[in-house]
Amino acid sequence: MGASKSTRHHYSRLILYAILGVYLVFVLFPITWLVLSSLKTHYQTLIIPPQLVFQPTMEAYEKIFTGGMLKAFANSLKIAGIDIVLALFFGIPAAYSLARFKSKLNENIGFWFLSIRMAPAFGVIVPIYIVIRSLKLLDSIFAVNLAHLLINLPFAIWLLKGYFEEMPIAIEESALIDGATRLQVLLRIVLPPSMPMVISVAILTFMFSWNEFLFVFVLTSSEGATVPVLVASLAGTMTFDWPLMCAVSIGAMVPAFIFVLIVQRFIVRGLTLGAIK
Amino acid sequence: MKEENKLLMPSLILCAAIVAFPTAFLLYVSLHRWVLFSREVNFVWLGNFYSIITSSDFLESLRVTAIFIFSSTLLTLLFGLALALILNEKLRGRGLFRVIFTLPAIIPPVVAGFAWKFLLNREVGVIGGFILPALGFEKSIHGDPLLALISVIIADVWCRMPLTFIILMAGLQAIPDVLYEAAKIDGANYWKMLQNVTLPLLKPAIIIALIIRFIDAFNLFETIFVMTRGGPGTATETLPLLGWKIGFQYFNLGQAASLAVIMLLITVIISQVLIRRMR
Repeated sequence: MGASKSTRHHYSRLILYAILGVYLVFVLFPITWLVLSSLKTHYQTLIIPPQLVFQPTMEAYEKIFTGGMLKAFANSLKIAGIDIVLALFFGIPAAYSLARFKSKLNENIGFWFLSIRMAPAFGVIVPIYIVIRSLKLLDSIFAVNLAHLLINLPFAIWLLKGYFEEMPIAIEESALIDGATRLQVLLRIVLPPSMPMVISVAILTFMFSWNEFLFVFVLTSSEGATVPVLVASLAGTMTFDWPLMCAVSIGAMVPAFIFVLIVQRFIVRGLTLGAIK
Repeated sequence: MKEENKLLMPSLILCAAIVAFPTAFLLYVSLHRWVLFSREVNFVWLGNFYSIITSSDFLESLRVTAIFIFSSTLLTLLFGLALALILNEKLRGRGLFRVIFTLPAIIPPVVAGFAWKFLLNREVGVIGGFILPALGFEKSIHGDPLLALISVIIADVWCRMPLTFIILMAGLQAIPDVLYEAAKIDGANYWKMLQNVTLPLLKPAIIIALIIRFIDAFNLFETIFVMTRGGPGTATETLPLLGWKIGFQYFNLGQAASLAVIMLLITVIISQVLIRRMR
């Protein structure tokens, strides 16, 4: 009896690993193929059946540098960097006030903040586009920053508010009684232990800005274009340079991969809109 | 209280303004005949809504969107649930599996779309140009309406399964072990436990996953745009792609805004219905 039970257990385990293995291939195959193809020459990518063994070349990656494509990467970094600073600068005080001063109005603002994430991006961009266009700011980094802040700021506030609400309030109260101002309380008492959350909000802000496509696509034409727009425009041309497109795609993935390795569990909270803590 | 306001009101007002303005202006635009490059802006009441709802483009797009959302949400939910259940068992290497299965979530959707476009390409793609033809399947995937729709669903499942997986995984971990032990003492096998302990307790997490995933799929733009641009014909033109076309190719911003408002209403109604079921 014992033996047959353990063999059955053994088989069921095998089946589970088989399922995991199949999905693993499904997940990893496209990424692997992008990496492989980015190391081929243009001619090598055209060969059917595809070669698995070939002389790798860095040609495609060199083309990013020589082909003037670094600008898109620089733009992406600039936009994401400025957005992090602005989202935290405005988001931290606002989140703190929403967490500490409860009122009916505050509750509704919280929900309203989240609702902008439910709206379709092409709709959110319509009013922004009209304003940016009338200010003659199209195709500038500033325009993209403003548009991204619109999504990032409410999101940052939502996440930070949830975090501040869970913090014990007693120390803050005693500091206030001792004559500290609210600003001092926020800077000296609340912020230091909140650093992990602040960092994760910064990373999520970065990831949104880095990945976002439609806003940049609508608001810019050449000067302000970012990496996703570069990928899409390369993929939309008729002269397909497959290795180059793959190399740019790999470049677009790298920052997020690095961040995730560092702060995996914080990302989880952000991806699920704070639904999972 | 006064002193608190001094610190907090400015940032709050700014935040409220930055969020309130687009919403309010979107509504305003949706009620006007607002075409770029045309000077006249006329108030048309619900005229835009009327022309959108009665247009055949909208109805066709609604059909495509419904198929897309239904398949993609269902598949991501099923895969997410199955994989979360498996990785909730004490298997060797499950930490690594969890990390790898969540990877696609952080890949830019544009890149995900490109990757699948490349893989499925009839001329150079390893799947569409080599594996499928070797199996005797010669069609071009992106030239066939049904296959194109299936291909964007596959890409979206690839990209978005992590979302449901993460939520359900967290839901499973929140179920106390005591319940399983009690069920075991009562002689329940795995399937009985799944049916009577795991799934009922997981229901809230399943519904949260469903809501988040539904909103996500409903608003998806990039992946489809990069893969097919809504084509061939309008076979993969979901509502966001239709909205983009109306707004930024026909420059009819009023109608695009009204479509966005319609979509927002649908989102709110469906998520409210789902939230009700959670209680």
